[in-house]
Amino acid sequence: MNNRRRSIRLRLMALMTAAFLVLLCLISILLWTYARGAANDSYDLVLGGSARAILERITPGPDGPTVDMPPSAMEIAGIVPAARVVYSVFSPEGLVTGTPDLPLPDGFEPAVAPMFYDALHNGAPMRFVVQGREISTASGPFWVEVQVGQTTEARVAQQRDLFLTGMAGLALVSAIGLGFVWFAIRQALRPLAQIERDLQGRPPRDLSELAARPPLEIESLFDAINGFIARLRANRNMTEGFIADVAHQTRTSLSTLQGHLELAADARSEDDMRARLVRAERQSARTVRLTNQLLSHAMVLHRADGGGLHPVALTPLLRSLVSEMLRDTRIRDVTFTFDVDPFADKGDVVMGDEVVLREALRNLIENALRHGPPDNIIDIDLRAEGHDRIMIAISDAGPGIPEQDRERAQERFVSLSDRTAGSGLGLAIVQAVAEAHGAGFHLSTSQRGGLKAVLSFARVLSLVLLLALLPHPSMAQTVLRVASATDEVAIRPILDAFERENPDLHIEYTDMQTVPLYQAVLDGSMNPDLVISSAMDLQVDLVNRGMALHLDLPEAQSLPSWAAWREELFGFTFEPAVMIYNPTLIAESDLPRTHVDLTEFLRNHERSLQQRIGLYDLRQAGIGYLFATQDAEFGQDAAALNEVLGRAKARVYPTTNAMIDAVGRGELTMALNLIGSYAISADDPHVAVHLFWDYNLVMMRTGFVPKTAANPEQAARLLAYLISHRGQVLLARKTPLVPVLPLVTLNTPTLNRMRGYDGTFLPIRLGPQLLTYLDALKQKRFLSAWQSAIRP
Amino acid sequence: MRMRPFAVTRGPLFSCFMRMLLVEDNDDLAETITDRLRAEGHAIDRESNGDDAHSLLRHARFDLVILDVNLPGRNGTEVLRAMRDRGDTTPVLILTARSEVDDRVVGLDAGADDYMVKPFDFRELSARCRVLARRKSGTATNSFTAGTLTFDRSARRARLGGVDLDLRPREVQLLEVLIDNLGRMLTKEEVADKLYTFDEAPTMNAVEQTVTRLRRRIEGSTLTIRTARGLGYMAYVTDE
Repeated sequence: MNNRRRSIRLRLMALMTAAFLVLLCLISILLWTYARGAANDSYDLVLGGSARAILERITPGPDGPTVDMPPSAMEIAGIVPAARVVYSVFSPEGLVTGTPDLPLPDGFEPAVAPMFYDALHNGAPMRFVVQGREISTASGPFWVEVQVGQTTEARVAQQRDLFLTGMAGLALVSAIGLGFVWFAIRQALRPLAQIERDLQGRPPRDLSELAARPPLEIESLFDAINGFIARLRANRNMTEGFIADVAHQTRTSLSTLQGHLELAADARSEDDMRARLVRAERQSARTVRLTNQLLSHAMVLHRADGGGLHPVALTPLLRSLVSEMLRDTRIRDVTFTFDVDPFADKGDVVMGDEVVLREALRNLIENALRHGPPDNIIDIDLRAEGHDRIMIAISDAGPGIPEQDRERAQERFVSLSDRTAGSGLGLAIVQAVAEAHGAGFHLSTSQRGGLKAVLSFARVLSLVLLLALLPHPSMAQTVLRVASATDEVAIRPILDAFERENPDLHIEYTDMQTVPLYQAVLDGSMNPDLVISSAMDLQVDLVNRGMALHLDLPEAQSLPSWAAWREELFGFTFEPAVMIYNPTLIAESDLPRTHVDLTEFLRNHERSLQQRIGLYDLRQAGIGYLFATQDAEFGQDAAALNEVLGRAKARVYPTTNAMIDAVGRGELTMALNLIGSYAISADDPHVAVHLFWDYNLVMMRTGFVPKTAANPEQAARLLAYLISHRGQVLLARKTPLVPVLPLVTLNTPTLNRMRGYDGTFLPIRLGPQLLTYLDALKQKRFLSAWQSAIRP
Repeated sequence: MRMRPFAVTRGPLFSCFMRMLLVEDNDDLAETITDRLRAEGHAIDRESNGDDAHSLLRHARFDLVILDVNLPGRNGTEVLRAMRDRGDTTPVLILTARSEVDDRVVGLDAGADDYMVKPFDFRELSARCRVLARRKSGTATNSFTAGTLTFDRSARRARLGGVDLDLRPREVQLLEVLIDNLGRMLTKEEVADKLYTFDEAPTMNAVEQTVTRLRRRIEGSTLTIRTARGLGYMAYVTDE
């Protein structure tokens, strides 16, 4: 009863819910559009600001319009922290600077007002602004256009947030509405509760019909219940009839027996008496059989109620049953055969009750024996039927049962032949056993013309012992290709530790310079699984082009916010730019304390430092360019410094180590703006490190996994290891590199040294602002200024 | 169904009037059994509880014991077990009223030679007693007779109507095995086990052939060897 009530409820609820959903769908479309508008408004401000900043710096130049990229343009764009940025400045004559071939809107016309539009660039959806300015030159006015585009993840996220919040509210209202519906239904279905109470209150024997007056909708249900009650009553009556039947049969049998015996006792002649006694004996045999079968039947029904089914092996059961029956000396003339399919071990097992199965089978065999001739042949077959069934067939060479009588033979107390004096219960017992086992029972004609009785069971599907061959992590190693601009020697200890923890991986490490590495990854001539470099700007550029895989690294949550970009690029070291010097050639106390003092210092010691100052070759060393440009950003007067360095004939070197060696050998007195980590850890009395008091730039070595990596998961694992706490501690202890995580409790000479200058470290932040100095024009200008001063 | 005409109870053709013990607590049933068996010429004692039976069996010898399972005092299985533990190999036939697995199996496990379920046919009881007696006499004495067949165990010679059968050694072994297991079904594997030692590797075919040959040799005697395909072999004496 309960089930029915719930499903009406559910049906009504389902309908109401569907209706609400349709409404919600309509509203959601409106909400979506609204949210998009709102998101666009906010983010377009950023885009517009960035474009305007660039626009302001466009000037007419001798070779056409030129632009001095302001850092503010990229910084404004960087307000949206994780978006990739592209820009271009172009005129009717072509591209001035930036990325060529950015998409333009259809029907584009130069205009002063900014125009915002969406377009795909390199497969990524982006939002663009295009804005123009007319500049006048000698040959007349013409338009210069600035385009700035940003990827739309943040924008889309905000749109989604607005939308979802709105929808949540609406959903809540709908839910409350549905709640009301729920209660209303309950009220309506009260009458059914009434019926439930009536039925539950009845005593078990009360099979009278329900008397209530149901409401219209439930009338047919009501009638169905009453019909069921009537059938149940009929069934009960039938069972009671069976018991009456049994009583009748038994009593009749016994009375007959009694009768024969009394007649025998009263017989006149011996022949008469013997005749009576023979009949009495036969009657007695019949009564015995009836009693046995009644008991058997009762046992079968009783066990079907209570007991469970267990696995039973049919072959031994049949064998022992037949062997037992063969003891009987009266059936010595009967031939038995037993044919078994060659089952695998446990192939002949079915779920059953062994005792009751024996009874059924015994009944069938006894039936065959009773109805057949003394030299009967009884064939017992145990065969598989397909994969999942097994059948027992008992065939005899007796008279069989004609097809039209087979149905009747299975009814109780019907014996088809008086002569054979069966009790009539045998086949009914077998039928009951078959039902209890969910088995099929079927009568047909045997090959020898007698009866064939077949019981068909479902086999217990053997639990195939599948040795769960857990896919062994292939002991064949995966090769992880790492392309890096870090000295292998420096980073080896941490790579070794990683390999030890991950025996299935082997790292193939390629050590390159920053710029060639950048080039190779950009043009696709290299396809490493992990790209590590100290040139942060070059790394940001590669990632900005969409070449990096987005990684969900839980270890990244402990990183400082400036040490990761877009969850694609991760910094794992913290390495200050330092000045190194040879303490045997110059004393610490003589060295300048601030960057401002540096220029002054160099000017004063110009002569003694002639050709004795080392610098990065900015054309080759990406890190050198980064430091130099960032220094310029922080106000260092690059022009003045370069001029002084030029006059001191400073020498340029492509690598850090080259400079450290030169200082150590005494070839150089000092070297400027180097990566300090190698120097700090080098235990060389001829090489010392000098830090400034005003600021010390700090760069991070960064890594990303390219989208084209062959083993991205494993590469991600390595990257995660590098930024994990464990990895960072190892980095601090075992390598000359400095960890990026603030490991305040760790004590190493390097960390201790650096702790003295805590407040002065200025980490170079990861973000699109690093792209400013990669602008082609900007870079050309900076480098040519540097070159003309230093004259390397 | 049995079509035999009224049969006058005949005594067995081999001279074996046995000394039997019946242990049965129901007086009416006991009377019926003892009356019958006495009429056949046997001497039969009756006990009505397990303890009495147990003490009696400890110092008296019988040819056959008919033992009801459900007895007051010690139950039939315990009496039986005590007998076997003492080394008493008297044939025992168990009577049981229940038809479930346990009584039969437990009885056979405890060392009974046969069992019958009540209510049973009395003629059948008598026949089974004779089979058991035959079995026992076959193992106890040196000579076994079945109609015109005689088998001298110690000499390992069989004669049919006085003529020596000149059986091969395997056939003699087989004959012995079958006589020891009269009225009992032996599977092919069991026969092979008893005929061959463990380092010989008999094929089932070899067993079949030996049985067929032996059957042919003893044809004309009242010893019959029945083959039930898929089940095994059984030997019995036909006139009983």
